Amino acid sequence: MKRGFVAAAAAAVAAAGLAACGSSAAPGAGSSTSSKISCTYSGIQNALYKKGQLTVATDEPAYAPWFENNNPANGKGYESAVAYAVAKQLGFKPSQVHWAYEPFNDSYAPGPKKFDFDINEISYTPQRATAVTFSNSYYNVTQALVVMKNSPIVSKHTPAELKTYIYGDQLGTTSLQFINSEIQPDSTPKIYQSLNVVASALQTHQIQAFVTDTPTAQYMAADQIPGAQMVGQFPSADEHYGLLFTKGNTLVGCVNKAITTLTADGTLSALQKQYLGIYQDVPTIKP
Amino acid sequence: MNSEDVAGDPPVSYGTGSLSTGAQIAGSFGSTGRGPRLLSGGGRRAVVVSTASTLVVLAALVLIFWLAPGSAAVRHTFFDPADMWQSFIGDPKKGYYSVGAAIWLNIRMFLAAEVLILALALAIALVRMSTSPVMFPFRVLAMVYVDFFRGVPLLLVVFAIGLGVPALRLPFVSAQSAAIYGVAALVLSYSAYVSEVYRAGLNSVHRSQVAAARSLGLSNGTALRYVILPQAVRNIVPPLLNDFISLQKDTALVAVLGAIEANEAAQIYSATVFNFSSFTVAAILFLILTIPLARFTDRLIERDRRRRLAGVGP
Repeated sequence: MKRGFVAAAAAAVAAAGLAACGSSAAPGAGSSTSSKISCTYSGIQNALYKKGQLTVATDEPAYAPWFENNNPANGKGYESAVAYAVAKQLGFKPSQVHWAYEPFNDSYAPGPKKFDFDINEISYTPQRATAVTFSNSYYNVTQALVVMKNSPIVSKHTPAELKTYIYGDQLGTTSLQFINSEIQPDSTPKIYQSLNVVASALQTHQIQAFVTDTPTAQYMAADQIPGAQMVGQFPSADEHYGLLFTKGNTLVGCVNKAITTLTADGTLSALQKQYLGIYQDVPTIKP
Repeated sequence: MNSEDVAGDPPVSYGTGSLSTGAQIAGSFGSTGRGPRLLSGGGRRAVVVSTASTLVVLAALVLIFWLAPGSAAVRHTFFDPADMWQSFIGDPKKGYYSVGAAIWLNIRMFLAAEVLILALALAIALVRMSTSPVMFPFRVLAMVYVDFFRGVPLLLVVFAIGLGVPALRLPFVSAQSAAIYGVAALVLSYSAYVSEVYRAGLNSVHRSQVAAARSLGLSNGTALRYVILPQAVRNIVPPLLNDFISLQKDTALVAVLGAIEANEAAQIYSATVFNFSSFTVAAILFLILTIPLARFTDRLIERDRRRRLAGVGP
């Protein structure tokens, strides 16, 4: 836990630095308001999508363990709880938090958004940060391998053996990037529109394995795909999830302050223990 | 030639007196079998005016695009040259694939599907047009087939074949690549449409042609092969090509099965780096594929029309 916390802090500092570079070079978008706003409840009103409420977006359906029962507004599940914790830091009551639906593939389109921030397991990358603004890390990600229980991969997963399997994954994810850059399989991975289709491809034996973040992997293997198993997680590659803002949104500074507070007072690690706790004791395998 | 002058036309000789604009062309339309020409034959002044008008319209559009408040963001997101080039060449280590290489899969899927569709659709059309009582159950089957596959969204067929057939776990059949299942789905769906085009073509050949062929002693099959089909097919070449242009684009639907074709590669790039320029690249590649076919279709239609109006028999 301690190590995780240090890494989180380091990542947060790095992300803050990059975000600062990004916003100073931002072309036009949202430049009419000053880039520094006072982080009080009244001070942030002009930076909000709708005054008097915090509009938070996520995709539909919203998956466990990030959300529960596909209902972001119940405050349960890690990302829902984080959203309400951030809202509290900014001075909002839970009833002032409104949820909007934003498909992942639309979230990075240019132009005004229908939300203040999007919380949808979106990994920060420097290239992505040229199109949108990310908050600091609210979760440090590791990738994990999911296979069927009767697959040889369960026992044979040395780096050399891992190259010989057929992989599949959701398009545009850092997990897919991980397969190509770290595992480097002999045959090109198959690419699907959503993790649901990836799951059915695994069940119908069109692929032998897929990679996704550890909590999602554990959840899918345990509850979603009959006969599936998570083999283990890969060593951390310094990847983290950030809240997604429209490029140049001024609210991000205050949200980063809130995340820093929540990290320092142990709220984030407590929420991780509560919602992702069963996923944190996982064997590590090498890519 | 029509004697009335077009209003405002300066009294200048254009060398060939018959070349002019507006009313005069309308007057000559039909006698030569040529329609009013849009770009040629309008005289020098018309060319100048049309060029200027085109430039003004284009400039206005570009200006609106350039001066829009979000123009810089849109240009960066959709038309960034660096992103377009990156997505064109691809880099799997960074999580995305070459859109340029992926279009080759579209081309192969399209060519394979086209051949199969032409054959299957003809068979269906012939079954539906058959008159023999023995063929009755097949006629009903063909009709149900056409109704079903024309009515069901293509995407559903792609999913049903691409995810359902492998789940059956049959030897060989269930072990094919996504592209194969995609082609199968395209063939099933498009054959239904194209069989109707064939049927229209076969119906367009007058019954007397069959009667004439039969009276010459040709068998039913021979008459069909040498007399009816050639005339029917010539009539339907333009609608057939139209369907195939549409088919070229619909190969993109196979992406949902995990085959990395151009659209899929573009979406992977876009979701990886949060930039849509890859879709612009895919669009350009699709245009390069479809525009020649569209122009070829135009030429065929024009040639056919000229022949008929000139009275050269079918």
